[in-house]
Amino acid sequence: MVFARSQGLFFQSYNINMFYKTLSIWLCFSLYAMACTQDSLIIKGLVVNAKTLQPIEGVNIIGDGFFSISSSDGSFIIKNITNGNYVLNVSHIGYAPKTVNVHVWRNMDLIYVALDEAVTNLDAVEVNGKTSKRRDKESSTISYKVSKEFLNQNRENSLMQTLSKIPGVSTINIGSGQSKPVIRGLGFNRVAVVQNGIKHEAQQWGNDHGLEIDQYGIENIQIIKGPASLVYGADAIAGVVDIKPNKIPAINSFNGEVNLLGESNNDLLGVSVGVKARKESWFYRSRLTLRDYGDYKVPTDKINYENYIFELHDNHLRNTAGIEANASFNIGYSSEGFTTETSFSNVNAKNGFFANAHGLEVRTSSIDYDSSSRDVDLPYHKVNHFKITNNTSLDLGNHTFHLDLGYQNNNREEHSEPIPHGYMPTPPDSKERAFNKNTYTLNVKDVFKPNAKHDVVLGVNMEYQDNNIGGWGFLIPEYTRFTVGAFGYDQFEINKNLHLQAGIRYDFGVVDTHSYFDWYPSTRNNDDNTISNIYLQRSQDKTLNFGSTSASVGLSYLRNKITYKINIGKSFRMPLSNELASDGVNYHMYRYEKGNLDLDPEASYQLDMEVDYSAKKFSVALSPFVNFFDNYIYLNPTSSYYETLQIYEYTQAKVFRVGGELSASSTVLKNVTLNASAEYVYSRQTSGPKKNFTLPFSPPLSGRLSANYQFKDLLFFNSPQLSAELKVAGAQNEIVPPEQVTAGYQVLNMAFVSKLNSSKNSLPIEMRLKLNNVFHTTYFDHTSFYRLIDVPEAGRNISLSLTIPF
Amino acid sequence: MKFISKYNYLSILFVLILASCSVDDSANKDEEKPTISINYTEGFPQACTELVKGETYTFKAMVTDNLALAAYSLDIHHNFDHHTHDDQEETCDLGDVKAAVNPFIYVENFTIEEGLTSYEINISLTIPDDIDTGDYHCAYSVTDLTGWQARTSIDIKIIE
Repeated sequence: MVFARSQGLFFQSYNINMFYKTLSIWLCFSLYAMACTQDSLIIKGLVVNAKTLQPIEGVNIIGDGFFSISSSDGSFIIKNITNGNYVLNVSHIGYAPKTVNVHVWRNMDLIYVALDEAVTNLDAVEVNGKTSKRRDKESSTISYKVSKEFLNQNRENSLMQTLSKIPGVSTINIGSGQSKPVIRGLGFNRVAVVQNGIKHEAQQWGNDHGLEIDQYGIENIQIIKGPASLVYGADAIAGVVDIKPNKIPAINSFNGEVNLLGESNNDLLGVSVGVKARKESWFYRSRLTLRDYGDYKVPTDKINYENYIFELHDNHLRNTAGIEANASFNIGYSSEGFTTETSFSNVNAKNGFFANAHGLEVRTSSIDYDSSSRDVDLPYHKVNHFKITNNTSLDLGNHTFHLDLGYQNNNREEHSEPIPHGYMPTPPDSKERAFNKNTYTLNVKDVFKPNAKHDVVLGVNMEYQDNNIGGWGFLIPEYTRFTVGAFGYDQFEINKNLHLQAGIRYDFGVVDTHSYFDWYPSTRNNDDNTISNIYLQRSQDKTLNFGSTSASVGLSYLRNKITYKINIGKSFRMPLSNELASDGVNYHMYRYEKGNLDLDPEASYQLDMEVDYSAKKFSVALSPFVNFFDNYIYLNPTSSYYETLQIYEYTQAKVFRVGGELSASSTVLKNVTLNASAEYVYSRQTSGPKKNFTLPFSPPLSGRLSANYQFKDLLFFNSPQLSAELKVAGAQNEIVPPEQVTAGYQVLNMAFVSKLNSSKNSLPIEMRLKLNNVFHTTYFDHTSFYRLIDVPEAGRNISLSLTIPF
Repeated sequence: MKFISKYNYLSILFVLILASCSVDDSANKDEEKPTISINYTEGFPQACTELVKGETYTFKAMVTDNLALAAYSLDIHHNFDHHTHDDQEETCDLGDVKAAVNPFIYVENFTIEEGLTSYEINISLTIPDDIDTGDYHCAYSVTDLTGWQARTSIDIKIIE
């Protein structure tokens, strides 16, 4: 059907009828006055998914003698057209093709084309443009795409807890709201988190805080489970969580959403408001998020840690409350062949730590923690992450240039009650540790197609970090670090279904560590039986250079419904300043951490495979891997003491790992979907002082079984779904000092998800009611930071979240 | 759950789970922590012991390990701020919170002759005359050759 209206009327009606249109098969466009030369006119248009109203990229728009492909924001332009009537054939894989009649004249408006998802077999559609799904299949990189729908439906207390439902992804948690990514058992600086093309740089090495990223407003994440230094540089040795830039809003659009979240376990209240708008070329988006939560509850009233017993008030894990306030503003410009977007964001959080034991250290205090479950007393940390990024891309012929610029400041402070330790007298204030890190990033990339068979990418990454420290506790030295890397890779189409991908990269880095002296004297017994009091030097001024080569080669083969991938790669990671130069006492962990200036960059070799069978009613994917580390850097607990604290020394060992993920999904009945997944990693140190031991924080074998039932629409519930998910984890008997064996567990979670029709004239509200840990099960997560002090995971939690679009 | 029998992939999943669980190569690996105890007649100090300034005491604790002990330490520091408490069954009455002027501090490490699986810590220590009296905390720790550690701590008092 075709509509011709004035623009104002069109938009009014477009909004009012939007919901109606999402359910119907519509095709609409409108005509509108615009200036144009008489003999050379332009057709401008926009292609959207009729169901979701999201723009569709890569759509072929073919007319008699002209042709165009829609860009990432769904828009297309056809130039040099004369007056008259034209027929446009609009087609895209996965959508039913559409024919549109257009009258082209001087004052014509944008053409809106809404495509319906194809119900026919994909094989029947001729492939003209490639969907991103197809491109993922052709790439030999084994990755997992996370959509906004997945994030909304699975939203947990932190971004990484949400993503941990993906097989092969887990988290290291501290408390209810903070977690770090772990991919196939490796985390900290071995997983790169990338946002808008810029590597997120905070204090990744620390195990008692989370990721400083607002989990709202993210539309699209790519997770790479395997070494990815080739494209992402150092640190992507175990995998990447790549938070992609959001899609550019549609031309002449304004919309937004309010996200509300309430949780019963930690009395969380969360509000996030996002808006986005675009005129012709300029667009902007903005988001504000506020989350405030109290102490979380565990299904026990006392905690037995070694010989200590901590009585809990009302099952509350004392002083684990927190608050988070985030804001972001993006402004961008997009025209034919040129897009630029600048993003300003700030994430601010304050979180308390469990008051009875800080690290492993048991503490008593005169603070009345139990008077309120919402206040944050000592010990706590506060963190502020400010970021400016710019992403610009320019199409020049068959080259596309991408430029990413980034500045980020991570400012984190850890506060605890000042008490003397060893030779250190009572410190003057509560500021135990402070880190202030500035990171500057520049990435340049040229994507080009020398001919139909090759897709070549050449790029350079540069990064400068400046990390400053403060506070009375010393853990890592101040340092500056400069890295530069250059890479190139090619995807070669051997034939339509067989693709070869190969690339190579070289990185060079300089780490400059700064000296540090204790602020208090320590007593030393000299050889001549005299005693001296000296200010001990904890780190040295050192300049260290590192160079490393990464490479990767892989094949992907598509055969009907099956995709086969194989990839072999070498990745690397530069040693961190604490691994190189720390020489400090970590009282809370009862250990003395000693760096090693002779460490080499870590090198990892990995063979990845994937077999994926996707049919309409059944799909299954298996992704095994074999991995070998030449010199894994590891904080080894030795048998020696330093001032009565056990010495932990950074050492390198060979490590062998093997594992993989299996997932399957099936639509057994029309309304019932079953999903099952399992993940497993086996790790062994094959040399060094902990030969035959595993690696720290090894996740146990685990699996998820879920069933999803789609109801008929009922009252104001639109597409209501009920789902139940059972998470089963095996025991983790593979430990390394000072860990403890963790028993297996089963936890049942349930969810009811529905759209609500508030009125016919507005977009539906999305509602999610979730019940986590249905049976209030007491269990321990082997990779939780609080596992070390025998704190079980959170008890039953009811959460209600609403997404209200406008 | 009734779908399991119908759907092979679920059975495959569970076979995988079972198969992986049975991987066991814990041989050649020391997975046992050492132990440390003052809970025997000669163990010293016992919880709430009062030590007199100027006196000499023998600190004794029993340590054991399944394979080989490596090192031990003794740390005595003040608890005038009540920052922690011990892991003994008995609860001691603590004095008032106060500021430290010249607190006693003892921080020493020792190694154990290689190859021993049981050993009695025996440290002779004179409490200096010029230090602050009050609540103190006495912490023993021991490591084995593998790097496992055990700790125990005792609340004590130093008196005039």
